[in-house]
Amino acid sequence: MSLRTEPGRHGSEFRRRRKLCDIQRALAKDPPDVATLRRMAISEGGLLTDEIRCLVWPRLLNVSTEELPPPPGPELRVNNKDYEQVLLDVRRSLRRFPPGMPLKEREDLQEQLIDIILQVLARNPQLHYYQGYHDIVVTFLLVVGGPLATLLVDKLSTHHLRDFMDPSMDNTKHILNYLMPIIELVNPGLHDFMVRAEVGTIFALSWLITWFGHVLSDFRHVVRLYDFFLACHPLMPIYFAAVIVLHRESEVMECECDMASVHHLLSQIPQDLPYETLISKAGDLFVQFPPSELSREAALQHQAERTAVSTFKDFELASTQQRPDMVLRRRFRDSVRPENRNKAVLTKPRTNRLVKLAVMGLTVALGAAALAVVKSALEWAPKFELQIFP
Amino acid sequence: MSSATGGDRGLESSLEASINSTCSYGSTRARIFKIIVIGDSNVGKTCLTYRFCTSYFPERTEATIGVDFRERCVEIDGERIKIQLWDTAGQERFRKSMVQHYYRNVHAVVFVYDITNMASFQSLPAWIEECKRHLLTNDVPRILVGNKCDLKDSIQVPTDLAQKFADLHSMPMFETSAKNTNDHVEAIFMTLAHKLKSHKPLVLSQPPENTVELNSGAKTSFPCGC
Ligand SMILES: Nc1nc2c(ncn2[C@@H]2O[C@H](COP(=O)(O)OP(=O)(O)O)[C@@H](O)[C@H]2O)c(=O)[nH]1
Ligand SMILES: [Mg+2]
Repeated sequence: MSLRTEPGRHGSEFRRRRKLCDIQRALAKDPPDVATLRRMAISEGGLLTDEIRCLVWPRLLNVSTEELPPPPGPELRVNNKDYEQVLLDVRRSLRRFPPGMPLKEREDLQEQLIDIILQVLARNPQLHYYQGYHDIVVTFLLVVGGPLATLLVDKLSTHHLRDFMDPSMDNTKHILNYLMPIIELVNPGLHDFMVRAEVGTIFALSWLITWFGHVLSDFRHVVRLYDFFLACHPLMPIYFAAVIVLHRESEVMECECDMASVHHLLSQIPQDLPYETLISKAGDLFVQFPPSELSREAALQHQAERTAVSTFKDFELASTQQRPDMVLRRRFRDSVRPENRNKAVLTKPRTNRLVKLAVMGLTVALGAAALAVVKSALEWAPKFELQIFP
Repeated sequence: MSSATGGDRGLESSLEASINSTCSYGSTRARIFKIIVIGDSNVGKTCLTYRFCTSYFPERTEATIGVDFRERCVEIDGERIKIQLWDTAGQERFRKSMVQHYYRNVHAVVFVYDITNMASFQSLPAWIEECKRHLLTNDVPRILVGNKCDLKDSIQVPTDLAQKFADLHSMPMFETSAKNTNDHVEAIFMTLAHKLKSHKPLVLSQPPENTVELNSGAKTSFPCGC
């Protein structure tokens, strides 16, 4: 009997090579095929290498890399209101750098990190520094290097991170408020337990505002998540946070039902999470319970109907990368206007969850039959895709 | 949050161990003292709470984002007591909308400043003011801690100035170092715990939900309770 394993069509190495090809082809198109790049960033393994990330992240953020900003002069730090706090935080961020890195090199990068942060803040006076912002910026610095990182972080800060950088953290709190409704939709028992414990949501604060950069020690996991978040709706990190809590259901339920015990358990994030599975689940939750759904949940308790128009709008908004909180508020406004709801139900067909997952490059807990559905859905997906990720 | 806050994994797991070995949550429930630690960024709040809960000085801390939690069980006059330390973020924006939740049911407050940093001392009135706003009662014990007194060459806040300030606000004042082993961080928190233990029972009572839980548990399994 020959049990030699062949590098079959479905081996992981094969999939990897095919993905590399797909990414290269999408990048080579003029203009680049951003929809495909998004799908690659979301689907299993993400963007695979840092070399690819250097090429794809700017596309996902729609940043032109032709003109890189020059490094700032020393005057940037003089009389700078943020310098003190940034310096304190960057000095203490040793764990974000690879353990074996020579001291000189690390100190050099820390200086660059301070510069990038101050540069972006100087270019956008409406933005306010928060502790944890440095955990995001360091990820970009380590992957794409200083000058390009400045451009990417600038764009990210005025879009995905915008709400976190308001003068107050009220909008951040507002976004955290969506954590419990997501958990409730999937697991009411767990939700009730957490409500009884009065645990609050601050355990997820650093997850949200650092895109998990502050709490994960393996850099590969961090960049994998960044692939995912950069390709998705700005609210995806809160879905991912919910998925982590849901994943730990049994541990939570075994806890003493009080704030301290549950906060303590949840804030110690396990380092061996099954990231690919959780990413799929987060994508699936987003498709099933899009932000519009949640704000309606919050506003009108139970509105069972899920409409094409609402999910479609969510994708549409995602592609224009608006501030996450603005998205929520807009959805909220729309959903409370009754004539809107009825129109949606009457005139739009229900979109297929599988189709939307396929567009994101995800297959969640699907049997063979369901996979076939996804495949056929993909045949007409390109057109759909154009609409949702222009 | 806390997983990334302090030093290496070894320290964290020793913290874990100390929680699990000394605190049994079973039927003999330990009394809980909840203490919130506040003060400017970088004054050493995280190091102090680490020192007390693990007996180590963490070589590396990171910025605290939101609220971190550490605890340790101690025995005072034969009674087992769980001391919960809530370590908070120093940056102002966090406390404005995030930290209130954690002021609930606190039994004591520790204000920290850095004796090598005058600005951190000058922020104290703002911290005290904020604390007043969040606490329901006035008689929550508060203490003032000047940290980093191992850095003798860079003192900016003279002891008598700090003492005067503490007197003015009727708080006990301590100068200490989270870094030096013999600087009685332990003693400071234990003093506070003793004070709490002998304090009015009303302040010390557990949050109501715990009481309810205990009662209903007693009803279902042990009809005659304690
Ligand atoms: N020399 C000295 N340094 C300290 C002491 N306590 C803390 N530090 C240092 O001060 C910095 C800030 O400490 P940290 O606990 O993170 O401050 P926090 O922002 O108040 O939590 C770190 O670099 C610590 O190593 C101390 O007692 N002596
Ligand atoms: Mg701290």
